[in-house]
Amino acid sequence: MNLKTKLTLITVLLFNIVLIAQEAVIKGTVVSAKDGVPIPGANVIILNTSKGTTTDFDGKYQITTSKGEVLQVSYIGYLSQTITIGDQTTIDVSLEEDLAQLEEVVVVGYGSRRKSDVTGSVSSVKTDELTAFPVLDAAQALQGRAAGVDVQSNNGGEPGAPISIKIRGNTSINASSNPLIVVDGFVGANMPQAGDIESMQILKDASATAIYGSQGANGVVLITTKKGKSGKLNIDFNSTYSVQTTSNRLDLLNADEFADYQTQVIANQAITSGSTASPYVQGDSDTDWQDLIYRTGNTQNHQLSVSGGSDKVNYYASGTYFSQNGILVNSDYERASFLSNLNAQVTDRLKVGLNLTGGLSTKSGVSTQSDGSVTVGGDDVVSLAMRFAPDKGIYNSDGTFSINDQVGDPVDNPWAVATQRDDDTEIENFRANFFADYQIIEGLTFKTTFGISTKNTFRGVYMPRTLAITAGRGLDGRAIIEEDKSKSVLTENYLTYNKEVGKGNLTLLAGLSYQKNTNKGFYNEGTGTISDGFSYYGLYTATSLIQPEDGDVYLREKEIQSQFGRINFDYDDKYLITATVRRDGASNFAANEKYAIFPSGALGWKVSNEDFLSDSETISNLKLRASYGVTGNPSIDPYNSLAKASTLYASRNMSTVQAVTPDQPANPDLKWESSYQSNFGIDLGLLNNKITLSVDYYNIDTKDLIMVNNGLADYIGFVNDEILVNAGEVKNKGIEIFLSTKNITNDDFSWTTDFVFSKNKNTVTSLINGDDWFGNGAPSYFSVSNTYILREGEEVGLFYGYDYAGVYQGGALPAGTATIPGAVAGDPLFTDLDESGDITNDDRTIIGNPNADFTWGITNNLTYKNFDFNIFFQGSQGGEIFNMTNVQLNNGDANTTSGYFNNAWTATNTNTNQPRVGNNSFREISSRFVEDGSYIRLKNIAIGYNLPSSVLENIGIEKLRLSLSAQNLLTITNYSGLDPEVSYFGDEGGEDGNNTATNTTRGFDFGSYPTVRSVSFSLNLTF
Amino acid sequence: MKKINYILLLIMGLSIIGCSDLEEEPVGLLSPDGFFQSTEDIQIAINGALTAAIDEEIWGRKLSISLMLRSDMVKLQSTQPHRVEMDMHTITGDNEMVYDPWKRLYQGIAAANNAIAGAEDVDVDEGIKNPVTAEAYFIRAFYYFHLVRLLGDIPYIDAPIANLDDIDAASSIGLTPEAQVYEKIIADLEFAKTWLPNTQASRAIPSKAAASSYLALVYLTMAGTSDNAMFQKAFDEAKEVIDNKAIYNLDLDPDFQTLFNADKIDASIEPIFALDYNNVEAANDLYDQISPMLGLRGDEGWSVGVPTMAVYDSFEDGDYRKNVSFQTKAPSGDTEVDYTEFIPTVTVHAHADNRPYIAKYSRYPGDYARGDKRATSHNYSMIRYAEILLIAAEAGVEIGSPLALGYLNEVRGRARNGGQSTSGGYVDVTIPASAVPADLGSITVDDVLEERRIELAFECKRWYDIKRRQLGDVVFSASGYEGEKPNWNASEDYDTPIPADEISSNPNLGN
Repeated sequence: MNLKTKLTLITVLLFNIVLIAQEAVIKGTVVSAKDGVPIPGANVIILNTSKGTTTDFDGKYQITTSKGEVLQVSYIGYLSQTITIGDQTTIDVSLEEDLAQLEEVVVVGYGSRRKSDVTGSVSSVKTDELTAFPVLDAAQALQGRAAGVDVQSNNGGEPGAPISIKIRGNTSINASSNPLIVVDGFVGANMPQAGDIESMQILKDASATAIYGSQGANGVVLITTKKGKSGKLNIDFNSTYSVQTTSNRLDLLNADEFADYQTQVIANQAITSGSTASPYVQGDSDTDWQDLIYRTGNTQNHQLSVSGGSDKVNYYASGTYFSQNGILVNSDYERASFLSNLNAQVTDRLKVGLNLTGGLSTKSGVSTQSDGSVTVGGDDVVSLAMRFAPDKGIYNSDGTFSINDQVGDPVDNPWAVATQRDDDTEIENFRANFFADYQIIEGLTFKTTFGISTKNTFRGVYMPRTLAITAGRGLDGRAIIEEDKSKSVLTENYLTYNKEVGKGNLTLLAGLSYQKNTNKGFYNEGTGTISDGFSYYGLYTATSLIQPEDGDVYLREKEIQSQFGRINFDYDDKYLITATVRRDGASNFAANEKYAIFPSGALGWKVSNEDFLSDSETISNLKLRASYGVTGNPSIDPYNSLAKASTLYASRNMSTVQAVTPDQPANPDLKWESSYQSNFGIDLGLLNNKITLSVDYYNIDTKDLIMVNNGLADYIGFVNDEILVNAGEVKNKGIEIFLSTKNITNDDFSWTTDFVFSKNKNTVTSLINGDDWFGNGAPSYFSVSNTYILREGEEVGLFYGYDYAGVYQGGALPAGTATIPGAVAGDPLFTDLDESGDITNDDRTIIGNPNADFTWGITNNLTYKNFDFNIFFQGSQGGEIFNMTNVQLNNGDANTTSGYFNNAWTATNTNTNQPRVGNNSFREISSRFVEDGSYIRLKNIAIGYNLPSSVLENIGIEKLRLSLSAQNLLTITNYSGLDPEVSYFGDEGGEDGNNTATNTTRGFDFGSYPTVRSVSFSLNLTF
Repeated sequence: MKKINYILLLIMGLSIIGCSDLEEEPVGLLSPDGFFQSTEDIQIAINGALTAAIDEEIWGRKLSISLMLRSDMVKLQSTQPHRVEMDMHTITGDNEMVYDPWKRLYQGIAAANNAIAGAEDVDVDEGIKNPVTAEAYFIRAFYYFHLVRLLGDIPYIDAPIANLDDIDAASSIGLTPEAQVYEKIIADLEFAKTWLPNTQASRAIPSKAAASSYLALVYLTMAGTSDNAMFQKAFDEAKEVIDNKAIYNLDLDPDFQTLFNADKIDASIEPIFALDYNNVEAANDLYDQISPMLGLRGDEGWSVGVPTMAVYDSFEDGDYRKNVSFQTKAPSGDTEVDYTEFIPTVTVHAHADNRPYIAKYSRYPGDYARGDKRATSHNYSMIRYAEILLIAAEAGVEIGSPLALGYLNEVRGRARNGGQSTSGGYVDVTIPASAVPADLGSITVDDVLEERRIELAFECKRWYDIKRRQLGDVVFSASGYEGEKPNWNASEDYDTPIPADEISSNPNLGN
């Protein structure tokens, strides 16, 4: 049976289901005994029958019964009540709070648990934290909020830049380190809009993630979207408007200073080369390129949601519109997205639901963070604005755009690149997930889900011929169109069985899962278009179409099929045992290693429920947790284990012909990366849980790392220099602390503080043959290599280069130092590690560590009457930054900073640590450019005001909140660059850098889109 | 009915799971298994081997420019350390201009090995498939000849690496001594000479003439400074080409400038083996960047490599080859200025200098050259008839052949023709015939080497001549064209170091 037939059948079957018959009706209201407030969503069932309902928004219910039946009313956190039906037509129920049960329920994979029963390490982020300030992506709201979770934009404040999440460090080198995102049960979903999220759980240890087996090694983010509640219609409108500016600029030379600087550079270089120097010929303009390309940006976000339901059906529907005008000219982003959740209690045993979501986004970008391959970074507006000669104007006298033709390599000017280039990305996504939940017998339920998800990405890039260097002579415009279409089909079926066994409670889970992901797409590029006015649609007029490369046109398919199971056993509400296992098979793994098994186990002890603590006034909660398990990472591309030949461009007698060459050998033993993780945790509540503390210690050993075998010699001749092998290990261990205090709680005033602390230590424990592994965090045109290193026993991604030892003052060299051959006074000195007398590649060593010692966040929430305040600081301590920007700006062939120019060594300024301008060092990678990247940042400060209900009642509004907030208002750091939250991926590619680059290229700063400072005004309205 | 529906639903849910065998069946992925079925398939594999040469990592830039910088003819103007190492003979095993050509040359060799082994699977008569397969033997020899001249002892592989066992075996091999590598190169060229047709549709397709010519150059190289048996072989092989020039359709082109004109070179009878540069912009950096590397800043070049004035002055005034080899003028607006005014009229760039620039690549880059004249369609000659005459002349002097002087004077005679060139920049003019250079009346080895330096200037031949004739101590001394290169050390600088990464992959290469 094909898929379409199956779907049709299911649909038909669903509509065939007939609803139950009617009987006599009882109505009532369920309220809380404590304050008389109605309880919506309470369960009202008739015992020993299949009949049941829930209360609506006003706590009202109605149910059909017969006399003599027993009505049971229950709600989480309250003691259940049973009432035998007599002749009443109205039964109002007042529920007493069950202090023992009044606690959070958290979603775990394929189920949910009371938070106190969870044995794994799970962080929860609350809805109001996700929406405390406007974010493009809900993931951004996690930064500093969840212990052990590291969040970073892949390109500073760029509108629409991808956001990367890392949980407990990166457990991989070559494979993805991104966590699995599960939305309403759909594995591998896109992040929903922050305003649509009901709860977000971050599963961190193996006990929590092993149920996701081969996809769990990087942690799991479980998201539940908002559902409707029975009762009256709810309309929510949330609107935010923000004004954004750059938080920082570099202090660069103006035209006169620049001419001075270049004259000195030329003179100094002539000293080195022994030639004669002529003074720099200054241009006739004075242009502040940074000023030109930056502007005041803004974002707006509007969300409208409608929710409600009857006793059998509930619904939630929401639409969100987001738009951003970036702080760089010509960078814009716009997105519209929709979400709806529909749930129906079809019979008292059968529940069905459908979750639908879709969205459209358009990003019109300027190019930043270039990998350096396009005409010496001529597509990198941010670094161009710093590098480009300030004595040039935007235009030449003939009206064409000026180019850099005097200093350094020829390149188009930043204003021209920012305004002339088109770079549009449109993404459409859609997801539908259907579920049916059937109670077979008491305690045994069967759940089946079936979902599809699609994501289509279109990108068009056009470089017009007005960009003389990039697309001028002989090119006459360059057009690129690429498209990627990805599709995922997922079906899961599982049984859950729950039974009381004496003092114990047993829950069993067993299920099957099958997922198929398909990616297809193409990339097309041509030059010589008929008119710049056609933009990239002029591709069809191209006089020269560029031969697509191997991989530019593709179909990639991946299947994963799994069996999984879990046992939870709780004894006497004191002792907790969890055991899970998942067996995964994936098509993208090699012939001999298709399947793997991922087990885990955990123990919990609720010490505070023991007799000796149950009466304690001080300790209100104490739980100890321990877990151990294995999870995997399958994130390698399909077909990586197959033998392959690749095609090459070739010409024969002036005709293009077919040509092949060996690409990669077969590797039938390529297998999963496995993470062996232990976790020890303690949850402590003091003074009636006014103070709660969670501390977790973890140790993750990731083995069989899939690595590029750079140990494979190149004389063997394969074209693919990324042949994969299982080799190498990394270890991550760390401590996470979450402390929450309710400092003051009374009717008018409350103050709570949340403190999050994460410390992760990452160590490379084994590499191929024990050899060092090098990567390059510089753009390709720098012509440098090996700027960072992986070495056994060290942390990932340490900076590698020369050890700078100050300025050579002429005469004898200080002991242990040397210079690059041909040095004169003023040139840089370095430690001569190999004692050869000259500085060569052999003198390179580890010169810095980009990994932070710890990160933290502290949030204070205060409310006073109708006012609320939020102050959120976030920080990172001990990580270092390699300032690649300064490498370029101190190189002589570009503009530079006043700081360098004014402090550089001269014959009269010898007491300095900065070498002379135009020195004999070329784009040197040395400790001179390593800086402390620690920072403390006022991430958010906000004040909100809820209009009093007395005012609102008259105008039919239930709730109206106004708030004013500011983000990134203040940053305390010693870092001299634009922003200490850096993310440049070197010649491996800009923001779309490959896995290896994003895992290991850390702490490099070059041309990132600056992080923005914003002031936001928000309105939240509920009808 | 209801119950049945539920049960059906359950079954439906379960059946959707299906059961996959998880086998990958890729569409659009080229599997090497069973690829070789016909002679056409051998040709496709050979095309893969041939095209490696045009890559940026070989002739497109890294090998060609490094050969120029290492000679005494081209001075480095920029300051990138990897280029400085080449210019100053301080080359380390980490230098990308060592490593990248090495890697790409071996990829070309792997593709040739693949074709040669694959040909055995093709069930076609030898007489049909061998003339095709012989191209693979030729190009394998061509690549190994570069490697052995650069590095001396090298790892030698002549079979495809098909599986992990092959990789394990190949990963621990040692160095094959230079002499044995030469034996293999000769064997490959002999096979090629036996089977290749006398002429081909394009000079960029290996022919019998190409195999024979390279044999002559290989023997000349092996002869070093004194091996007369090898000089004899070189002479015999070169003379065979000369004597068969009609069959091979070879001769000197009457106009020296034609050899450096992308639009005319393909019709010339002088090239014997050329690289097939293309008329589209290929991906993978499979294109040429020599012209911008050597061109003048402000005139679509980057001023990386520029001859010294001494090099320019070493060409006789009136020798047409001086006119063709050097750019002495550059455009500024509507006029052309002399090289003495390049700065500041054309450029003020720090790397530029007021000296004549190399014109062989930038003067006529062809219609397809794009911005800064990269990606030309210029099918550069790897060996041409003039060089065969000079090989015969040099080997002839060594063995005392009376023919040597005539061969040399034939080359000088063509230079007197003049032809369609420019006035030093880009203004087309006809240069009339002249009396310079005059015929020599007698001949020495030094005369031939000097003639090679002038005739083949900037064609990446000079470094190999310096090495095989052990000229380093002379040409890199203070009296050399580039002045003293203080780091030159004849005891170690003739051999390029094996890339450090390769030694760390296979320590047996370090011995």
